[in-house]
Amino acid sequence: MDPDAVAKAFVEHYYTTFDMDRSGLSNLYQDNSMLTFEGQKIQGNANIVAKLVSLPFTQCKHTITTVDCQPSGPAAGMLVFVSGTLQLAGEQHGLKFSQMFHLMPTPQGSFYVFNDIFRLNYA
Amino acid sequence: MEGRDLLAYEIYIYVCYSGRSTGEMEEQVETVGKAFVDHYYHLFDNDRPSLTSLYQPMSMLSFEGQRLEGTENICNKLNQLPFGQCHHAISTIDAQPSSFPGGIMVFVSGSLQLPGQDYPLRFSQMFHLIPAAEGNFFIQNDIFRLNYG
Repeated sequence: MDPDAVAKAFVEHYYTTFDMDRSGLSNLYQDNSMLTFEGQKIQGNANIVAKLVSLPFTQCKHTITTVDCQPSGPAAGMLVFVSGTLQLAGEQHGLKFSQMFHLMPTPQGSFYVFNDIFRLNYA
Repeated sequence: MEGRDLLAYEIYIYVCYSGRSTGEMEEQVETVGKAFVDHYYHLFDNDRPSLTSLYQPMSMLSFEGQRLEGTENICNKLNQLPFGQCHHAISTIDAQPSSFPGGIMVFVSGSLQLPGQDYPLRFSQMFHLIPAAEGNFFIQNDIFRLNYG
């Protein structure tokens, strides 16, 4: 499958799931996954999902501006680099953010997130 | 290689081979990440042609959506960027071990001041560093994006 298509499909799935029900992100991470969220380091599926679910907002919407992807090496991993805007309910302006994912293939033929780094882009 | 560049590489090599425990792995990855970022932007701002030492034939760069592969293509692109002296100021550096053995993911945000411009440009960049045969690191993957206001 075309890597660009895979990257776009992943990004759409990730942020749609995030915006609708963050607990659904659980099947995108495994025990060896790592998230750095605004500098805070979290390891493992359970801890990562707990962090995301506990973020202090219920309603949110991600709008994606750019998606870049590259194969990450011989193990068929894929790097995805995203920039966009995060609109929180009740806030006048969206927050700009950048995020990178390192996706690794699963035996079932899909991908999971091995590395995940999120940063807001302050003006 | 002189002075601070040599020091940065010494840090890489020391950290790579020092065989620390899992608990110290995090610190190790952070140290290498920061040393690399310092080294990379120092070269970029002061001696752009010497960035060639950080890429290899299988390296990939996506620069504002344009894809390039290989040392020569990447360095031609960077050397031909339409400005002379520039200065990168780094705001954040995040690093994590990659799934590749000894590999490191580095995520940077900062601003880029170009000569004659009133305001710096904000950017984000990610690097996937892989240990090289010589005992240092090279850039396997490089993605650069400006962050428009």
